[in-house]
Amino acid sequence: MVKYFFKRLFRGIISVVIAVGIIMILIYSLLDNTLIFAEDPQYMKLGNNQKIIYMYQMWKNYGYVDYVSYSDYLNKLVADGEIDEEFRDSIASIGRTPDKDSKDVKEYVEKFTKYYEDKGYTILRLDAVMASKRKVATGGTQALLAYQNKPVLERVASYFGSILTFDNIHYVKEDIGKRGLTFTLHDPAYGGDKFAPAIIGNGTRHKYLLYVDSRFPYVHQNFVKITLGTSYSINKGIDVFETMTQTQGSYVVSPTYYPSGIVAESADDLHTATYAAGSREANLVYEEHYTDDYTNVSLTRNSGSRITYSFVIGIIGSIITYFIGLPLGILMAKKKDTWVDRLGNAYVIFMIAVPGLAYIFMFKAIGNRLGLPTAFSLDNPSAAMYIMPILSSVVASVAGTMRWMRRYMVDQMNSDYVKFARSEGLTEGEIFTKHIFKNAAIPVTHGIPSAFVGALAGSIVTERVYLIPGVGGLLVQAIGAYDNSVIVGVAIFYGMLYIIAAIMGDIVMAIMDPRISFTSKAR
Amino acid sequence: MDMEAKKTKQGNYINLEDTGLTDEELFQRIPQDTASIEKITAPKYSYWQSVMRVFFRKKSNIVVVALFVIILVFTFIYPMINGYDKYGNLMDSSTKHLTPSAAMEKFGFSIHYLFGTGDSGQSTFDSIWYGARISLALAAICSVINMTIGILVGALWGFSKRVDIVMNELRNIIGNVPGTLIISVMVMVFSPSFWTLIFAMCITGWIGIAYSMRTQVMIIRDREYNLASRCLGTSTLRIATKNILPYMISFIVTLAANEIPMYISQEVFLSYIGLGISDTTLGKIIFNAQSAMVTPGWGWEFWPPVMLAAFISIILFLVGQSLGDAADPRTHM
Repeated sequence: MVKYFFKRLFRGIISVVIAVGIIMILIYSLLDNTLIFAEDPQYMKLGNNQKIIYMYQMWKNYGYVDYVSYSDYLNKLVADGEIDEEFRDSIASIGRTPDKDSKDVKEYVEKFTKYYEDKGYTILRLDAVMASKRKVATGGTQALLAYQNKPVLERVASYFGSILTFDNIHYVKEDIGKRGLTFTLHDPAYGGDKFAPAIIGNGTRHKYLLYVDSRFPYVHQNFVKITLGTSYSINKGIDVFETMTQTQGSYVVSPTYYPSGIVAESADDLHTATYAAGSREANLVYEEHYTDDYTNVSLTRNSGSRITYSFVIGIIGSIITYFIGLPLGILMAKKKDTWVDRLGNAYVIFMIAVPGLAYIFMFKAIGNRLGLPTAFSLDNPSAAMYIMPILSSVVASVAGTMRWMRRYMVDQMNSDYVKFARSEGLTEGEIFTKHIFKNAAIPVTHGIPSAFVGALAGSIVTERVYLIPGVGGLLVQAIGAYDNSVIVGVAIFYGMLYIIAAIMGDIVMAIMDPRISFTSKAR
Repeated sequence: MDMEAKKTKQGNYINLEDTGLTDEELFQRIPQDTASIEKITAPKYSYWQSVMRVFFRKKSNIVVVALFVIILVFTFIYPMINGYDKYGNLMDSSTKHLTPSAAMEKFGFSIHYLFGTGDSGQSTFDSIWYGARISLALAAICSVINMTIGILVGALWGFSKRVDIVMNELRNIIGNVPGTLIISVMVMVFSPSFWTLIFAMCITGWIGIAYSMRTQVMIIRDREYNLASRCLGTSTLRIATKNILPYMISFIVTLAANEIPMYISQEVFLSYIGLGISDTTLGKIIFNAQSAMVTPGWGWEFWPPVMLAAFISIILFLVGQSLGDAADPRTHM
């Protein structure tokens, strides 16, 4: 059975890879590259040639193109020892137009052109944009560069290759002293007295590879990092997975025990320290606070991550849904063909037929009337702001649970073993609780893991209507801003949640009902 | 003859010899009719007539159908004859965001101002029907395309083992990615217009229908009566059309009843997240009206499109459900 589930997981992963690959190919080959700048304030500010160069730089950073500027090429020649630095400086500036190049410059521009054209690059020479006869316009400086579009399939392959990164003690290239992992029971980040186990690395990318803190899920690890793609405009330069899991809101200041022994009030989260080569030399504050180059820390904020909010709302909603929906479904089945059943059916039909948005807005309006908060606020959080989002998701999902529970119960009611139980003289109550319910509950349990796992994905509509900073809104935001890597990252996240939920559902069902077996041998 | 028979029943026997007739006069030899030997005497059965009979037996269905016809008339004919112009009152600021009673006061009683006016001074009543036309057309076209592809592929999927293997894998791949995500990406990639939205909704939409169709076909395909029919030499085509299709029709109709409201709902959703088409649709109107809803006194603008979407969906759903029940041959007894 374990083998069967591993096989399914493997196949599920393969299909997610194929589906996400298709999405990537669609996005990267059919969508205009310049759309990613739609929400970029930096891009808006720049003008003329600078804008074009900025575009190529960004495309290079985000994996769209390979791009080499003329000065990069000259630096490479210097590094290879072909020319010396003095000569480089003399040929570094090209003419405003090609015919204004000096003789030496002309020679090297030709070399550059030939070298990269042979490699399949396209050469782009931007002539200076003149504001007047003498003066170059803002951002209008001449430039020479070579670029090559990256093949989409190569991008897809490299993307999937870099999803999981394993931290190791040979990560740091520089000389860092004795490399290795140390285990301690008293985490120095808590002052060294408090009992808190941690694994600290030297030579790894992260300083803390395993640590304990007061945030869910309490034990954190940095051995394996998931990277789903770097965001362009939603959370610039930050990975999608990190965007979902990092804390939000305003900074929290607390006494921080720096490695050098200084204790200061700060929002620095020392557990997130990563290696930044030469950072202590460059920054006096780092020099004072730290004893090594693990200085790149993120800051503690007071609110939960996107995933936390989505999960909390989703999970409470699911629990309430089951607590209300299952008894109502059972009641409908018990009172089949009476007014109770008809009323329940009318409710179910109404919920199926009415556009989901319509009643969420209806609820928002009712919430407003009642004076309940209908918008999430990270600045002054309260328990009341959870009420409306949870309520509006429950009202819709209860209908589905009722419908299926009723269906399963009614199906079981007509089966032979129930007639037999009745002829044996069991009371209706006993038949219901001991026979019908037990059997009808099996398909219901199949949906429970997906309700829980699905809570992580959040709900697009609810989160948007109630302004919840959750995961569900991320996809919509990303689509609005053409943040392609976030779209891909969210797609793969959703896909993985789906397959895990489906497999967990089957496992739970197999545990509940011993008759179910997924291997043909066991039959 | 009748009189004679009656008398016979009552017990008044007539001696044949008393009549004084010869055997030739009394009896007549009738040639054997081979065709009528084969005939099984049963009440005449026509499938579609029975469907209609069962459907209209329930009085509530007549009301639902009447409402359905009214919806069709208003969505497809009413916008054509009234010449709706969204920006007709644009310059007159006193016509904007009026409640029904205020609008009636201003323009005098007319059906156009039954639901007040919107943010450009347009009649809400006219605009929701105008929007419903596109929404309903979109939902209907998507349903027709998806149902056609889904049913054909599903039938093949159910009948052929080899197709089953390939299609199951395909379904695994597509099923692992949420449909909303696929539609969103498609709409984003191919700029949103009426036909691209249809394309986005149809590119993977058929697979769910095909899968449920496959399961249904598989269940009925191997029933004993089909086995018997095959043994008697019925062709596969006849089995498919005469034995299996009638069972499928109720399933297909029920499915269609769920599909159309689903597409209306999906269109509203896509409009809401900013991926809708640029034409006026119900979703677009709801999306535009949501800002009005939180403004005191303008709340009226929000409800008519929402209620119309709900009304259309429920009516279609009820028609489909009842028609689905009526199409099930088991209810024809």
